Amino acid sequence: MEQLTNLVVSEGELGNIARVLGRLMLDTRASHVLLLDKSGQLIATQGQVGQRDLIALGALLAGAFSSSRHVAQILGETDFRHILQQGVQESIYTSLIGEQWLLVVVFDKQTHVGLVKVLSRKAVEELERVLERVRGAGAQAREAVVNVQFRSSVENTIDLLFQD
Amino acid sequence: MALINVASREIHCKIVYYGTGFCGKTTNLQYIYGRAPTTARGDLLTINTESERTLFFDFLPLDLGAVHGFRVRFHLYTVPGQVLYERTRVAVLNGVDGVVFVVDSSPEKLDENFASLIELETNVRHLGKDLGEFPFVIQWNKRDVPGAVPVSTLDRYLNRRRVPTFEASAVRGDGVFATLRTICKAVMARL
Repeated sequence: MEQLTNLVVSEGELGNIARVLGRLMLDTRASHVLLLDKSGQLIATQGQVGQRDLIALGALLAGAFSSSRHVAQILGETDFRHILQQGVQESIYTSLIGEQWLLVVVFDKQTHVGLVKVLSRKAVEELERVLERVRGAGAQAREAVVNVQFRSSVENTIDLLFQD
Repeated sequence: MALINVASREIHCKIVYYGTGFCGKTTNLQYIYGRAPTTARGDLLTINTESERTLFFDFLPLDLGAVHGFRVRFHLYTVPGQVLYERTRVAVLNGVDGVVFVVDSSPEKLDENFASLIELETNVRHLGKDLGEFPFVIQWNKRDVPGAVPVSTLDRYLNRRRVPTFEASAVRGDGVFATLRTICKAVMARL
């Protein structure tokens, strides 16, 4: 399947995403809930972690998920759409959303994993609908942000910052 | 795939450094990490084997700060170069917006470079993209090794698409930022 060139998330849709993530965090009593793009970019988050930690966490979780899908292929499985990483204190449950996004729930031993699985599935269904709308609205929203002046300013900043 | 988050006013792009084992991909990121302004770089994350070779990937987030009210970020990744890690390279390429192909100029590496480029072409095609119509630059690294293959020869065999190329010695830092600037601009041009 061809990968998209870019994905534009509007303010309204980010609000919808935040509502789904917030409810999931509350209902599962998770410590954090993240929405990642499968390229490792962080789209939205609920919970308290320093921004820098989250950027690294996003890259690692997306890498691990992508890697696990190749493991599935080697085993002759069609796919792994969920991964559970279980620790002594904290665990992580990751689900794929429409081949594009990853829903990540970080929870501790007070929460039963079965609850996380069921409620994640519900959240994935809602987020799939958001993803469809985001995909449909891309080009117009992008043009409003990325114009000639913007590109030119970014190029100047690149020249300014990345020097020998 | 670049992500434009209008609500949080952020733009994220993913750049992958690709090439054979020991060609200098990680060295590129280490040099950038060491020299980029501290305000513009995050932590360099590395997942190595015990022998310090890249096992999964290296990751370095770069932050341009606010441009016209949007915070622009480039996330740099390397792939593991060893032949047996092809599946991992495919995993890291997922959602890529631009590729730097790092070439080891040592004469004994020419064949490996060639094989790695063919593999990259195939993997990018599997993502539904054509390397010829994609932000893509080549870095001729290790220009300082004795007997380095002439650039004209490398260009003839490894740059059929006539993409931008840079002579480099990543250990000394020569050409590292020139490569970075060009791939970042190429990615922005395609946004």
